[in-house]
Amino acid sequence: MKKTFNLVGKPVIRQDGYSKVTGKARFADDINYPDQLFGVMVRLPIAHARIKKIDFSEIENHPSVITICTAGDISGSNISGIIKQDQPVFCDQKIVTPGDVVAMLVGEDEELLRQLAGKVKYEIEPLPALTDPRKALDSDAVLIHPESKSNLIVHYPLRKGDIERGFSQSDHIVEQTYTTQLIEHGYIEPETVIAIPLAADRSVKIIGSIQNPFTARRIVAQALDLPLTRVRVEQAELGGSFGGKDDTMDILSARAAVAALKTGRPVKIRYRREESVLESYKRHPYILHYKVGFSREGKIKAMKIDILADGGAYASMSPFVTWRSVAQATGPYEVENVCTDVRAVYTNNPYTGAMRGFGSPQPIFAQESIMDEIANQLGKTPDEIRWINCLHSGSITATGQKLEKHDVNLIKVLDTAVQKTNFSRQWQACKDKNKSILPFIQKTHASQADKSLLLESEDLVAPDLLLRKGIGLALSYRGCSLGAEGIDAAAAYLSVQPDGSLYLVSGLAENGQGMRTTFSIIAAETLGLSVEDIHYLELDTGIVPDSGPTVASRSTLMGGGAVKIAAEIVRDRLQKFLCDFWKLNKQDVLCFEKNKVFSESDPQKTLRFSEVCQLAYRKGVCLAAIGWYPGPKVDWDESVGQGAAYFTYVYGCQVAEVTVNLGTGEVYVDRVVAVHDPGKVINLLGAQGQVYGGVTQGAGYGLWEEISSADGFIRELNFDQIFIPTSKDVGEIVPVFVEGDDQHGPWGAKSLGEPTLELTAAAIANAVRNAVGVRFFNLPLNLEEIVLKRKLKPGGLKRGSAV
Amino acid sequence: MIPKIEYFSPVNLTELLKLLDRHQQAAKIIAGGTDIIAGFHQGSARFKGIKYLIDLNWIDELKKVELSSDGIVIGSAASFSEILKNELINHHFPLLSTAASRVGSVQIRNRATIGGNFVNNAPCADSVPALLVYDAEIRIRSVEAERAVSLADFLLKPYQTQLRSDEVVTQIRLPFLSENYLGDFYKLGRRRGVAISRITLAVLMKLVESKIDDIRIASGAVTPIGKRFVSLEQFARGKTVSDHLYRELARMLGNEILDATGLRWSSAYKLPVVQQTFYQQLQHIYQTGNLR
Repeated sequence: MKKTFNLVGKPVIRQDGYSKVTGKARFADDINYPDQLFGVMVRLPIAHARIKKIDFSEIENHPSVITICTAGDISGSNISGIIKQDQPVFCDQKIVTPGDVVAMLVGEDEELLRQLAGKVKYEIEPLPALTDPRKALDSDAVLIHPESKSNLIVHYPLRKGDIERGFSQSDHIVEQTYTTQLIEHGYIEPETVIAIPLAADRSVKIIGSIQNPFTARRIVAQALDLPLTRVRVEQAELGGSFGGKDDTMDILSARAAVAALKTGRPVKIRYRREESVLESYKRHPYILHYKVGFSREGKIKAMKIDILADGGAYASMSPFVTWRSVAQATGPYEVENVCTDVRAVYTNNPYTGAMRGFGSPQPIFAQESIMDEIANQLGKTPDEIRWINCLHSGSITATGQKLEKHDVNLIKVLDTAVQKTNFSRQWQACKDKNKSILPFIQKTHASQADKSLLLESEDLVAPDLLLRKGIGLALSYRGCSLGAEGIDAAAAYLSVQPDGSLYLVSGLAENGQGMRTTFSIIAAETLGLSVEDIHYLELDTGIVPDSGPTVASRSTLMGGGAVKIAAEIVRDRLQKFLCDFWKLNKQDVLCFEKNKVFSESDPQKTLRFSEVCQLAYRKGVCLAAIGWYPGPKVDWDESVGQGAAYFTYVYGCQVAEVTVNLGTGEVYVDRVVAVHDPGKVINLLGAQGQVYGGVTQGAGYGLWEEISSADGFIRELNFDQIFIPTSKDVGEIVPVFVEGDDQHGPWGAKSLGEPTLELTAAAIANAVRNAVGVRFFNLPLNLEEIVLKRKLKPGGLKRGSAV
Repeated sequence: MIPKIEYFSPVNLTELLKLLDRHQQAAKIIAGGTDIIAGFHQGSARFKGIKYLIDLNWIDELKKVELSSDGIVIGSAASFSEILKNELINHHFPLLSTAASRVGSVQIRNRATIGGNFVNNAPCADSVPALLVYDAEIRIRSVEAERAVSLADFLLKPYQTQLRSDEVVTQIRLPFLSENYLGDFYKLGRRRGVAISRITLAVLMKLVESKIDDIRIASGAVTPIGKRFVSLEQFARGKTVSDHLYRELARMLGNEILDATGLRWSSAYKLPVVQQTFYQQLQHIYQTGNLR
């Protein structure tokens, strides 16, 4: 292992940065073909119904309608789904949520097609809309997918120890219910895809804003009944995904491909924002019931956890999202007796799937809130209660896994965060200062729904009493990569040219996370080159092996591992070639540094890297390699939720400092100190960027963002109502990295993308509790939640400005 | 979606007025477009049936900000960015500058115009409460005539004004205030930037020996349209300022808003909050002595 690095850990500007900020980057909608057509969706304005008849007679002969694609045009399987097959490409039996699509009009004039889409006639049998997940498993609940016999998508039990004994050994028990909301990813670029028919052999090329090109390929091939090789998917420059451009894009790709093969012309689909929000999947709302027993010293003895996730209309990623929840629901604490049940259910709400965090932000909010409540009850500080319970090297997790063979840096991240913020003292000072709950807040919190409250003159508060400061922390551990979700391996292809420059591409996708730059650093470090020597290619399913999805913060760990292996294969070949060429011993070590190769034992033997490549090329040495990085085995017993869920973990602690305006309910995030152990940092700038973005997104989840619906119909279809934070809304963010050794990943580099987001809402909620003296149980902690302790929503869907 | 429309860009007022006269209801004036274009995309009924869009941006005289003998004259097509940069406005009418600074984002302020803000007459129009406390008067032209009307009278109902289809608002006139006015503009949004206002309040107050000689109070977003609270102002005039009076005024404002607005889904939040923030604002004005 290397002791010093030339590039790794240093700040490197991302390769695509310049083209993106100057507008030169080519996104999917910048790609046009001269004879392309547009596909426009037909939807029915209902959340739940049986389709009896769709009548296109009014528009099918319209000269602008070249064809209409429906389920009948799908030669393969119309039913798609990455895990569970339940989502039609085109609905022909039922509508189960208002985003559903029954047909696609195809023609040249996109605007006109949008108008014509409203003229499709239909006969439907309306069914009751199931919108409350708590009623989904009632015996009289309407079935969303009758073929499933139940609205239960999945149920994961986890049983460890003896829960009843655990409670009987406890001095205290707290029992609380938390809820989290539905949110939209909010990627800046809406869904766009173009399918190009390749007439020669009935194959199709797809270019799109696609997070997981190999998944899209599988879904398209399945719908067209084609071998995988006949579907080639290329990723366009992608304008944000956050987990959101998977299922929706797979299905859009299938629709575009069907139309392209039907018409023999390229077909583009591009969504407007409203359509994107309407049809795309979201983050799962959870209802989390926690019962925790603990000793008077603060040691947790038992945790009973019941989680209900609203999966919405389709299963999508629910089985994997909730699986991560069941594995991590206790938080990073040693708990001897655990009984967890996580269920995901079907409703007629917008469907929910993958989003950055993936089943962790919800339980972290609940579990970290409860930890603070326990601390409050015992007169301890939040860091003390975590100290008593947190996992360390050799600890057994809730799934019965022993944490070993890597630095278990949980205590280290906690201590670092606590020291950097002078946490205990600040927390205690705020607690003492904010002890009294203002009488007017007690009044507004007690006010009844549907009744308005006017304040009396004595309720009005002097200005300096309204602003309250608070500080809070949240702690997490996170299993890296897919864990027992599935097969876990990734590939990278590296091809050195005779002049020493090289092509690099991996089977994972650049979704804005800075992966191309990270991978270029890894290749450059291994071969002693600079990042500029590496030309990173566009991901194309035709040129590189399927490496699974780009999810679960696995790119650097898995794909980076593959890049390092590919670079090492080429380096070893060059080393062998040069040992022969220089007539050195086979044991001699050659150094690859600063674009040179030289022998450690004989410094006279030095060549430029480009010269080495030229020589090797002429001698017929293969300078291209595929690196393959398979993840180690994990094991899982689904009946009791026990096993080594993930092969390694990362650790993080965030401290949020807030100012709460009790008069208005505004929460201002003054500062977030984010301490993370990502293993080894590869690109310092990239890692810091992940923290800035993740914390901001996590603050949005904690304070502002929410998609609500009325009878399954979304109210907030655009960014005038979806409040993602702006740069003005979050104060200073301080990234701190605590590096830890690990045998996995390139030089021990693991995961960072999701840990940065999953903690922030919980840390903010704890800071708000510290500031206000009141616990808030329901995200987001928006204006109404702080002032009224409840949410307010308009009755209907109509926007005031649209009158 | 944006309908097929014919677009005109007259370069002077005469040309503009002729176009308006010719096309009447089929035409709509566009200045910044920050309401109309969004409205097209939302399929808003207010912008249905428009065949012609007449752009004000090429008419220089509608963008000017000038001193007059008794105040300043702001061209109706001046953008919020221009208002924000204008020293005259900043000096004489700082609440308007503050209100302008809180509109949307830099990009929106670069496009959106002051005239468009109140001609659209959304309840949440940020500049309206500030203009109302400054007793803004507006000038309206048609081919036939020019008329002057106070902004308060011009605004009728949400998204409705006195403006006829052959007319254009050309100027906003703000009369100078006498010395010694204190004041404040407050906006609450769900975010600190790019936020539609949930509450706006503008207050001007002149004290003579601790007595309220004049007070002007206007709100936005909590009432169906931006509005002055005349009876509350009358109640306050002549009274000696005190914490007790401020509390009383804040309490009464809640009642006034409830009377004007009735119960809405948002009332449970907005009523106590507007009372609390108005009280804060009065205290703030008194304590900091914010000029205007």
